[in-house]
Amino acid sequence: MNTTAEHSEAELLEALREIFRDGLGIDPISPIEPETRFFADLGLASIDAVVLGEVIQAHFARPLPYEVLMAEIGGRAQRDIAVSELIAFLKTHL
Amino acid sequence: MPRIQANELNFHIQQSGCGPDAVLIHGLTGDLSIWFLSRLMPVLSETHRVTAYDLRGHGYSDAPAEGYTSSAQAGDLLALLDVLGIERARLVGHSFGAVIAMHAAVLAPERVEALVLSDPYYPALRHLEDMSRWGHWQNFRQEALDAGVNLSVDSWYDLTTFFDQVKHLDEEGLLKFRQAVGLPGWKRVLRLAQTTCGEDAKQVDGLTAELIHAVDCPTLALYGEHSPFLSTGEYLVSRMPNCRSCLVPEAKHRAPEENPEGFRIAVADYLESLQLAEPQGVCS
Repeated sequence: MNTTAEHSEAELLEALREIFRDGLGIDPISPIEPETRFFADLGLASIDAVVLGEVIQAHFARPLPYEVLMAEIGGRAQRDIAVSELIAFLKTHL
Repeated sequence: MPRIQANELNFHIQQSGCGPDAVLIHGLTGDLSIWFLSRLMPVLSETHRVTAYDLRGHGYSDAPAEGYTSSAQAGDLLALLDVLGIERARLVGHSFGAVIAMHAAVLAPERVEALVLSDPYYPALRHLEDMSRWGHWQNFRQEALDAGVNLSVDSWYDLTTFFDQVKHLDEEGLLKFRQAVGLPGWKRVLRLAQTTCGEDAKQVDGLTAELIHAVDCPTLALYGEHSPFLSTGEYLVSRMPNCRSCLVPEAKHRAPEENPEGFRIAVADYLESLQLAEPQGVCS
């Protein structure tokens, strides 16, 4: 999906499902939804979030300010992030 | 995901920036994500070529059954420097990462320009710490207790005993527990539990007090204001010829998580204060 066109939230959700499946090997029985949480629901860890950043940037073929998002997660008490927040991040920066 | 082979193992590394080399070494049960969560990696990469890697048995690196002593892991570090073409680097290690950094400085002083030791405890300096208190373990136990897990008092860093005590937890309980004590994903913790890591990390393994005293590169002993290992920090400053101290406010043992900004500023200020031995300008 190497395009500069605006992405709808549905398209981004689908792209993230593909990225989780192909990039991280995460393909849960119940599909990933906007409210799915990275750590609590998918059982992932912050190192997976680092790798996810690389896969996302490779998928969209452009650099994104992903380190800002990582630092923000680091400041959270629960250190978790919902897929909807990833979608919002992508909508802002793609 | 960048992976490179060294010592016949695949290591996950991340690299960015230009300038003198800095290598970031995380602690046991952690991984390189700590350098992103604390924002040290992007901040240092404004002035350094920064390399972070997952230790063997951790993150996305291979997990052999053995070889987790500080000398073996210093060997991994030096092998990585070779493969990456890094002749000399500033080493920033947290907890056991700082034990590995010190051991690398002992084994290959010419490769280490400076050390930032974040809250380490050294097996050879065990006598300095109050064994009856085991400060860090007490902190850890309290955090676990807050998450509903009552760990036995005598299983400090004995990963096997430790896992036996938490494996009955359901998913929600496990998540609450690992968030409370700062553990990474459960599969990786269990993978590490299959190795000799817990036992190896307790060994002096040749990193004696005398050898520590002789490390003379510029060194920062960086401890949390409320660290359980302050005695070790004071000792390093008094014995190492070129070591100064700095405390991260409002932090205990895990300053990169507990006060990321304070940690970042302390590391960046110290590295900035170092005079460059020779002009360097390498980019990742």
